[in-house]
Amino acid sequence: MLFIQALGFGVITASLIAIGAMGFTIQFGLTNVLNISYAGIMTAGAFAAFIAEELHLPLVLGVVLALTVGAGVTWLLGRTLFAFFARRGAGLFEMVMVTLAVNLILQFGIDAASREQIYRFAFPQGTSLHGGPFTVTVTQLVLIVVAVAVFAGLELLLRRTRLGKALRAMAAEPRLARTCGIPTGRIVNVVWLLSGALAGLAGLAYVINSLSIDASVGTGFLPLVLAAAILGRAGSTRGAVLAALALGVVTEEVAAFGGAAYGSVAGFGILALVLLTRPAAVAGQAAGKVEVTV
Amino acid sequence: MRKPVHLSLALCLPCVLAAAACASAGGTGASAGPVGIVQIAAYTGDQAFEAQFADSIDYPGLYAVTQAGGVLGRKVTLIQVDTRSDPADALTAMGKTLATSSGISGVLGPDSTSAATLVPLLNNRHLPMMITAGEAAYDRSSYAYLWRNVPPDPANGEAIALWAKRQGYASVATVFGTDTGSQGDLPGVVAGVKAVGIKLADQENLTPDQPSYRSAAERLLAARPAAIITESDGPTAATFFGELRQLGSLVPIIGTSGTPSYSYFTPLRGAIGGPSFMRYFRAVVVGNPVVNPAVTAFNAAVLGVQGKLAKPVSQWENNSFSESGYDAIITLALAMDAAHSTDGSVYNRFIMRVTAPGPGKQVVYTYAAGKAALAAGHQIQYVGASGPLLFDGYHNSFGSQAVEEFPANAGAVVVGTITQAQVQALG
Amino acid sequence: MSFYISTLLVYFFVDALLAWALNMQFGWGGIPNFALIMFQAAGAYAAAVVSLGPDTGAGAFQRYVFGSSLPFPLPLVVATLAGGLLALIVGSFSLRRIRRDYQAAILLIVSLIVTGLVTNVVGLVNGSNGLTGVPRPLSGVLSRLTYDGYQWAYAAWTAVIAAAVYLLVARLGSSPWGRALRAVRDNEDAAATIGLNPVSLRLQAFVIGGMICGLSGGLLAEFLASWSPAAWGYAETFAVFTAIILGGVGNTWGVVLGTLLVQVIFLQVPTFLPQVGYTGLIDALQWVLIGSLWLVCLAIRPRGLIPARRPVVSREARR
Repeated sequence: MLFIQALGFGVITASLIAIGAMGFTIQFGLTNVLNISYAGIMTAGAFAAFIAEELHLPLVLGVVLALTVGAGVTWLLGRTLFAFFARRGAGLFEMVMVTLAVNLILQFGIDAASREQIYRFAFPQGTSLHGGPFTVTVTQLVLIVVAVAVFAGLELLLRRTRLGKALRAMAAEPRLARTCGIPTGRIVNVVWLLSGALAGLAGLAYVINSLSIDASVGTGFLPLVLAAAILGRAGSTRGAVLAALALGVVTEEVAAFGGAAYGSVAGFGILALVLLTRPAAVAGQAAGKVEVTV
Repeated sequence: MRKPVHLSLALCLPCVLAAAACASAGGTGASAGPVGIVQIAAYTGDQAFEAQFADSIDYPGLYAVTQAGGVLGRKVTLIQVDTRSDPADALTAMGKTLATSSGISGVLGPDSTSAATLVPLLNNRHLPMMITAGEAAYDRSSYAYLWRNVPPDPANGEAIALWAKRQGYASVATVFGTDTGSQGDLPGVVAGVKAVGIKLADQENLTPDQPSYRSAAERLLAARPAAIITESDGPTAATFFGELRQLGSLVPIIGTSGTPSYSYFTPLRGAIGGPSFMRYFRAVVVGNPVVNPAVTAFNAAVLGVQGKLAKPVSQWENNSFSESGYDAIITLALAMDAAHSTDGSVYNRFIMRVTAPGPGKQVVYTYAAGKAALAAGHQIQYVGASGPLLFDGYHNSFGSQAVEEFPANAGAVVVGTITQAQVQALG
Repeated sequence: MSFYISTLLVYFFVDALLAWALNMQFGWGGIPNFALIMFQAAGAYAAAVVSLGPDTGAGAFQRYVFGSSLPFPLPLVVATLAGGLLALIVGSFSLRRIRRDYQAAILLIVSLIVTGLVTNVVGLVNGSNGLTGVPRPLSGVLSRLTYDGYQWAYAAWTAVIAAAVYLLVARLGSSPWGRALRAVRDNEDAAATIGLNPVSLRLQAFVIGGMICGLSGGLLAEFLASWSPAAWGYAETFAVFTAIILGGVGNTWGVVLGTLLVQVIFLQVPTFLPQVGYTGLIDALQWVLIGSLWLVCLAIRPRGLIPARRPVVSREARR
């Protein structure tokens, strides 16, 4: 019985992870930059909505703000800081260091500005709905629907539009794509904006579900998002969603029987296991072939 | 390879100069300038919630002392030391403060995080300290300059267990956040429950601020406790008890003395509804709410400095923890007055003298009254907003604990009392 | 003042140990150990739980494993071994031949997960409250010393250990082993063809570095008499990274200077500034400063981290 219920919780958790992982993977798939500052963007988006709520602005405006702040900050970082270091020849690992430094600045800048307190995020949860062994609130249902919608939207974008095809081409062969006349600069811009917006949305979804917010929410949420994106193969939104489902369900099942602490350990254990047994399948080609595309 | 060495040395130079400049300052104890009271608390980091409690103690306390003309004709100033929730940072912060501030006479704190690291240092420096650290290790402390007028963490847990026994609960479950503040009270609860012979049906430790605690709620419902003993931060409690209500039904909830606060009640009330909150929730708080002129003075002081306190100000009025801290400040100040000295090694023993009852002593409830009585040559006993301070041989004092319920739009209503003797009888 | 200085000295030597460990792992071995602080924590906890007495079960105010009351210097030995053991475990799955950026992310995640584990499994090392009351080494034997005298004695003790570790690290650096390690860092394939075993060499560097971190943690925990998760947040690793980047990656003396600059000067001087904003604002901004300092270092003093120029795709309009 507990097992079945944990499945339900797992789907909810998976939706949260999936939104973040999809955003991360389209960015990672194109740029090959393992962008740790994604955590800070998630936090920033959540805070943008929180401030809107504190100012008693309408709910929708809060969501829009989260998306805008996420998109805007990511785009700015991408075009200025990341482009700067990429231009100077930074490799994959050096870029990780850059994004880490940026995450420190984002997280602790927000920490300082928010007076290092934990705040309660009052978001209407709606009534509880019971369906068989499952119990879910209206808001959680909405979050699941949003995750599905994001996935559907991305699928549409990537497979049916020219932009999407150009994006996939660029991810596979950046130099070739440019010589083919694909407007690579514009595509990179779109990816920054889109993935940034999803990061903001993921952060907001997370705090809507946990009902509290502080400067460390993004960094706390990042391991699962990263694990899902890496497990699901960089650039693959379908992979990200499947991985998110697996991680969400495993996390909740282990948490149900063993306690919350072991939940995330189990989730990460999957990633470690896969990396140990089939590193090439997940970790991709050797570093020499992959380069930073910014 | 040469460049970094030169660059490094160039950057070293200002530091050496700064250190040299600082070496000339510093010193503790009696000088003619203002009297420094140090407040050690976590203003940043994981335990930054301590900051607002520290403020609710410091500002009213200093206000009361200043209004009555200070200590020995000198102004009293507050020196804040930020532990950053980390013992390593607490040590450097305290060391730096001792080195650079003059006229430090007394200390409020250390707190639980920094006690092990700072108590020996402060004791060595002959600085009387009113600690807020709840570790049972200080129940029988051998530090001459250490004083504690709040109950150790286990005492509250034992009081809760006694109340549960009184109510006739056959089994209880504990629901505690894994954050430092909440966990500190758990061992006492567990020990108390075992000592009174109630079955501990389930123990849940909640990682704060998770999206869902349904698994924990399910386990708890399966264990069928008659009551739940809890402490956590507000959002965690709201999420957990809200889900508990959705999944099954609520049972009586007993909060520790760490629970009554605006930031805890508001989310919890919102999650389970006002009527349920009123029906099921009780808290066992330290410091039996007394009604005496000291409380009136404290509340007046709170209003006097309300601009500096966290909103809403009403949460600090009659707040037993703040009252204890306020009493600590008043006690230190009166001890200095009685000893005619701000030097810790001189006035330390007067702390007991101005708070212990005795024949012929004048009972005072405010700093002003105490100062006046001392000036007139009387011996005094200060009875504070948290009640009398009865320090035992180990410099520990804690009074009765009260069980409170919280009707809507009213403050706390006391529905039961557990005395210090009853708690100590548990062992 | 003497107390403040002696405290800073102890911290300086403890941090120098961390810098040498990271220098070995990252500077020579090319391992991006973003979980460095975890190994210091392992040593600190190990020293604490073996020098404390038994925790007497659920009624006591702290819960932890072991509790063996070992006398000085055994806790330090246990701390060193603990750091090495943890490094062995973590290294055996994260040092495979894998893209460095993945490796970095995984190590970072391991650090975050372990913090979560320690906080939530309260019986292990008392969760988020941490351990307190760790006995100070030789406090009985040295009881004739004043409080400040003991501080300086401890500072001298950490200096002796630091000197010993320096000699070890310097010897390793100039030894054939050190050269082999750097060869593996520079070109793993070529190194393999001449008979070197990259995985094994990296694991050795990782474990030795882990042991040094463990020793550093043991020294610190015994000095502070307490240890809790607050002391080893994931951001602490980056202070060490900043120290070695600033001082010169791979350069044994350079990282000492970097440690002095970052850990001592850069992080302490702001506390002397007059208070701005709310209490603790300046402290909170320190990590922002560390991050910014890091970016500046990466930008203007790459020190061999950033190789040749590469084209940037998003600027194609100009090309």
